[in-house]
Amino acid sequence: MNAERQTVYRWPLLWSGVLVALVGAVLLGVCISQSDAWEQVAGVLGLSALGWGSLIQTLNALGLSAVQSSALRSSVKLVGTQYLVSGAAVWLVGWALIASGIRRAPASTEGPSPAAGSELYPRLAQYRDFYWSTLGAYGGGILLAELVLILLQTFLSSGGGAAGGAGEGGGLPPTGAFAISLIVSSLVAFGCGFVGASRARRLAMPEATIGVIYFGLPVPVLLTLIEQMPDLQVSLGYRLREVTYLAELLGRPVVGYWLVFSLLVLVLVLGINTGFIAAGSGRLDLRLGFELFVARRHVGVFRPSLMLGTLAVLMFGIVPPLIVYGIIRAVEAAVERTRIRALGMKDPLAAASALNTLKLREQSPTMMMTALSVGGVGVGVMALIIVLSVMSGFEEDLQKKILGAHSHVVVSKYAGHLPEYKRLMEQIAKVPGVVGQTPSIDNPVMVLAEGDEVQGIVLKGIDPDTVGSVLDLDKNMLPGGELNYLKTPEKVVPRRAFGGFGSPPPQEEEEEESEESNDPIIGKTTKGPGSKVLPGIILGRELATIMRVVVGDRVNVISPQGAELGPAGLIPKSRAFRVAGIFYSGMYEYDAKFAYILLDEAQKLFSTDGPSNIELLVADVDDARRISNLVSRELGGYPYRSRDWGEIHRNIFSALRLEKLVMGIILSIIIVVAAGLIVATVIMLVLEKRKEIAVLKALGVSDGGIVKIFLAEGLQIGVAGGLLGLFSGLTWCLFIERVGIKLDPSVYYIPALPVKIEPLQTGLAVVIAVLVTYLASIYPALKASSVEPVEGLKAE
Amino acid sequence: MSLLSIRNVFKSYFLHGKRIDVLRGVSLDIAKGELVSLIGASGAGKSTFLHVLGTLDMPAAGELVYDGRSVFTMNDAEIADFRNRTIGFVFQSHYLLPEFTALENVAMPALIQRRDRTESYAYARALLERVGLGSRVEHRPGELSGGEAQRVALARALVLKPAVLLADEPTGNLDPATGEGIHQLLREVNRDLGITAVVVTHNETLARSMPRRLRLVAGQVTEA
Repeated sequence: MNAERQTVYRWPLLWSGVLVALVGAVLLGVCISQSDAWEQVAGVLGLSALGWGSLIQTLNALGLSAVQSSALRSSVKLVGTQYLVSGAAVWLVGWALIASGIRRAPASTEGPSPAAGSELYPRLAQYRDFYWSTLGAYGGGILLAELVLILLQTFLSSGGGAAGGAGEGGGLPPTGAFAISLIVSSLVAFGCGFVGASRARRLAMPEATIGVIYFGLPVPVLLTLIEQMPDLQVSLGYRLREVTYLAELLGRPVVGYWLVFSLLVLVLVLGINTGFIAAGSGRLDLRLGFELFVARRHVGVFRPSLMLGTLAVLMFGIVPPLIVYGIIRAVEAAVERTRIRALGMKDPLAAASALNTLKLREQSPTMMMTALSVGGVGVGVMALIIVLSVMSGFEEDLQKKILGAHSHVVVSKYAGHLPEYKRLMEQIAKVPGVVGQTPSIDNPVMVLAEGDEVQGIVLKGIDPDTVGSVLDLDKNMLPGGELNYLKTPEKVVPRRAFGGFGSPPPQEEEEEESEESNDPIIGKTTKGPGSKVLPGIILGRELATIMRVVVGDRVNVISPQGAELGPAGLIPKSRAFRVAGIFYSGMYEYDAKFAYILLDEAQKLFSTDGPSNIELLVADVDDARRISNLVSRELGGYPYRSRDWGEIHRNIFSALRLEKLVMGIILSIIIVVAAGLIVATVIMLVLEKRKEIAVLKALGVSDGGIVKIFLAEGLQIGVAGGLLGLFSGLTWCLFIERVGIKLDPSVYYIPALPVKIEPLQTGLAVVIAVLVTYLASIYPALKASSVEPVEGLKAE
Repeated sequence: MSLLSIRNVFKSYFLHGKRIDVLRGVSLDIAKGELVSLIGASGAGKSTFLHVLGTLDMPAAGELVYDGRSVFTMNDAEIADFRNRTIGFVFQSHYLLPEFTALENVAMPALIQRRDRTESYAYARALLERVGLGSRVEHRPGELSGGEAQRVALARALVLKPAVLLADEPTGNLDPATGEGIHQLLREVNRDLGITAVVVTHNETLARSMPRRLRLVAGQVTEA
């Protein structure tokens, strides 16, 4: 009953104490900087900030790391002892000042109140501050969710532990496994939050904070540290390979860990809140009918005028709809005025009643706020959907082009070549999911054409019979050349003479040229046997442009690989080829850096006894990793190895994914800002409806019911905004897809902005928006439920 | 056997660090079907007493027993339910919800209990006709006069046929003639439906017309 303050704070003392302690901390900081010891100290300080310091100290005291810490101390050269001593002293003085500023209030001089001795109001007597079981539920819940995520991910993607060794499947693709494990672990976190909150019948924030910091944080911290600490890597790295593999797909694994951790914490908070709402007043009640009935009257979000107006703003920007609205209102007002005046001429009372109905249509400021919040959420969702769809479009385009020029899986030896490739290919053909394969060899070379244009490129030896089953080369050929000319180079029409290196004498070349201008191909081939036929080469369009060659021209290839012994030592091998075709993949990188020749020619050029790779095409691109593993197992592992495209082109794809993720996070900030608007709107609603809340409580609505009503109001705004954003975002995407937005082809190599609507990602944008608005309405809803009936009824 | 009994209830307010004891160990028994008036000076704590009786306000100490059951030991949901089913409130101001029509306002306690909509509306309509407002069912509170609104509020208090009706100066904002109409209704409700009613009032003559009269003085309730 003694509700009076028991502690008296003397603020001047407290503040000066804080200042003095701060000075002490700065002095200590100076000392640490001078000793260059931040690295050694940072860890301990960081842990202390989270309250782990005492635990570490205890462990140290137990002697577990006594040796290590003494070694550490000797490694730090202490400089500036005067700072250390004075800093420590000032620090202690500061805290002493703070302590002296806190005093127990003097004992009350009044005697006991007349109520002393009678029984305390029962619910006050039951009140408890801390629930160990709730702490257990929250802390255990977040830890359990993390462990479930890791274990399930490992179990699912490695094909179920021990059974996976049998080689029957290799499990789900990692992203699929991750989706399933994330859903399961989210359910675990949600359930534990729900149970904990319904047990305590309150939100129990202290328990949640302690639980998350002490039970939830260690796992992501451990995962973050794995990269930096070799010991951890050795002991844990292999077991966690599925988890780290997936995180590395992002390029920055740490981002992934912490994002997933935040997500789990968010879900835990959702569970806590839902548990409190459902069971906070002592009985589990999940029915919503009445609450929605009231909420819909409070904020009429789903009114056609509001929805259409907001949609118009989303689709066409703010100004055009505003102008149209202004015009409509002006016309309407003019018409109404004329009508009312005409009415008033006959019957003044009829005019008064018409004026009255006109006034009733005016909108309240809360209505305006509601429309703004809906629009805010809508803009966020729309921006997310459009930007992510365009980025997906770019990614898909890039992937298509990369996979057109490269294979899905590449089989090679750790060292050496594959003369036995025919046998390997037979073996690989048995692996389910492999739909095409071709041997190849590639090496960097220089190409040289007339006019001293030297280009460093990658020369790839291919087998024209099978290459079509793996690469898009055949489809990418520009008219004028053909892939099959590689096999029959005599069909290529030499365009003009090429002075310089020629093994064929110049006269012959000129003769050929004159022949060519008169005769068709057939005529030339009949003449052929005498002249030397050069092997064919296929160049990319950009390369051909840079070197100024066309089909039929001669180029020289200089290879450092397979060098020949010359009079002055080793000299690079040089061979002449005739351009048999030009390909255009659309990727500048490939069109400028790749050239193809016959596999046999390449073997001769590079002096090898076989191809260096077997390239595979798989049925499902996203399943390439699993099939790659299967192939590797089929071939018996070492010395063979098999890499999928994700591994080979990891850098570019992880960069793309990271970019998309960061973009998503940045755009989500729009939604968070909109959520701030929702908080403001719902708080305004609560203030406006204090009396109504009190009345509803007097009529028998429980606290949980009030929370539900105002949550429903916030959620209505979120759902309306999400739906409008979804609609306008999809419309814009379709517009971009159908009508197109032109791009400068010399910069992007894509004629128009690509768009790919991914249902999952689009749905996720809406779900995130609704979740954020749900979270945003929690605080105002709790505020609403804490309005005491008496308070609201008094406010007259 | 009393229907509602209140034992040793203490309630204080704190203003600027000073304690003002409003209820000092109040004990009272009200039998079933009684019509009780409560008078007292302004600020004596009449409303507070009524709020504690109706579980709208929580006292510091004390016990409330309804029909042999202790009310204060129930949890939030049970107390809200108790308020919903057992007690009907009429306040000085009508406190109707402005977004809802008269009919919906009257049916609100039934809707809170999640009873069938059409049934609740039918009964609410009958009640509105009973208090003489059959033609105003679709009107919002803003379109009703003070007396009409108060009659709607009375109908709302009665829609679940509560055992107890608590009225806090129900005629305080009305002119004498309209106020007398409301009191007439209260007496009829008590007589015809057998609802126990406690009416807080300033009006001595009205109070004297009630069978049992109570007075709140210095934190104690005495028979007057």
